Amino acid sequence: MASTNAPPSPASLRPLSPHLSVYRFTVTMTMSILHRVTGCGLYLGALLLAWFLIATSMDAAAFGVVSSFLTSIVGRFILFGFSWALFHHGLGGVRHMIWDAGFGLETPEREWLAWATLIGGFALTILVWSIGYAVR
Amino acid sequence: MAADDNLLRSPSAKVRYLGSARWGASENWYMRLTSAALIPLTVAFVWVMLSLLSKDYNGVRAELGRPLPAIIVMLFVLVGIYHMQIGMRSVILDYVHGHAKEWLLVANLFFSGALALACVYAVLRIGFV
Repeated sequence: MASTNAPPSPASLRPLSPHLSVYRFTVTMTMSILHRVTGCGLYLGALLLAWFLIATSMDAAAFGVVSSFLTSIVGRFILFGFSWALFHHGLGGVRHMIWDAGFGLETPEREWLAWATLIGGFALTILVWSIGYAVR
Repeated sequence: MAADDNLLRSPSAKVRYLGSARWGASENWYMRLTSAALIPLTVAFVWVMLSLLSKDYNGVRAELGRPLPAIIVMLFVLVGIYHMQIGMRSVILDYVHGHAKEWLLVANLFFSGALALACVYAVLRIGFV
């Protein structure tokens, strides 16, 4: 901040473009950010799938290492996050397809779609984990 | 790829030099194509993974060695990694500038290509070795 008794320069009188700190969080904006964050998370999570497949293709010892990691508390937490990211990102993709088709772009619809992505992502994750614990 | 680029540009847009001059439109198209394919593939992949939960090492190998689960996993991996490669490319183009951008774009291609090949090789090895 410049000293307060200096006259305002012409530059400081210009209207500022909206800045990150004055943005109000909206659900559509949050889902947009989460879509990208979950996409990047899945990018890293692909390493986990590769590790699992390669270890399974090797021998029982390598499989045992990846299996005990994935069934540990940390491993389950990562897998839970990976599956949530997969479903959230997938539903986000469906939302984008609806938009691409020209539907759901008006205010109530797009807000509703954003909430459906968020709630649906968690619902699918819990559903699949319930099935997983039931068939295990 | 150039043919697909033309698919998304009208002749008048080309004459007026509107839109992507190179492959931007085909990238957009392939993103949508792979995401459409990934909807059924994700359901099938999750189904295969759930079927592995109750199995030990030999059971997992036997299951992933069957044709249908093996094909599902390989399709999911190939389409998914192609999809994530395009996605990471647009993230890099949005946030990284200068030489770092070029290095990261190359790294993205190397990483995605190696990962896809490793996964497919592993599934084939489970089935055939």
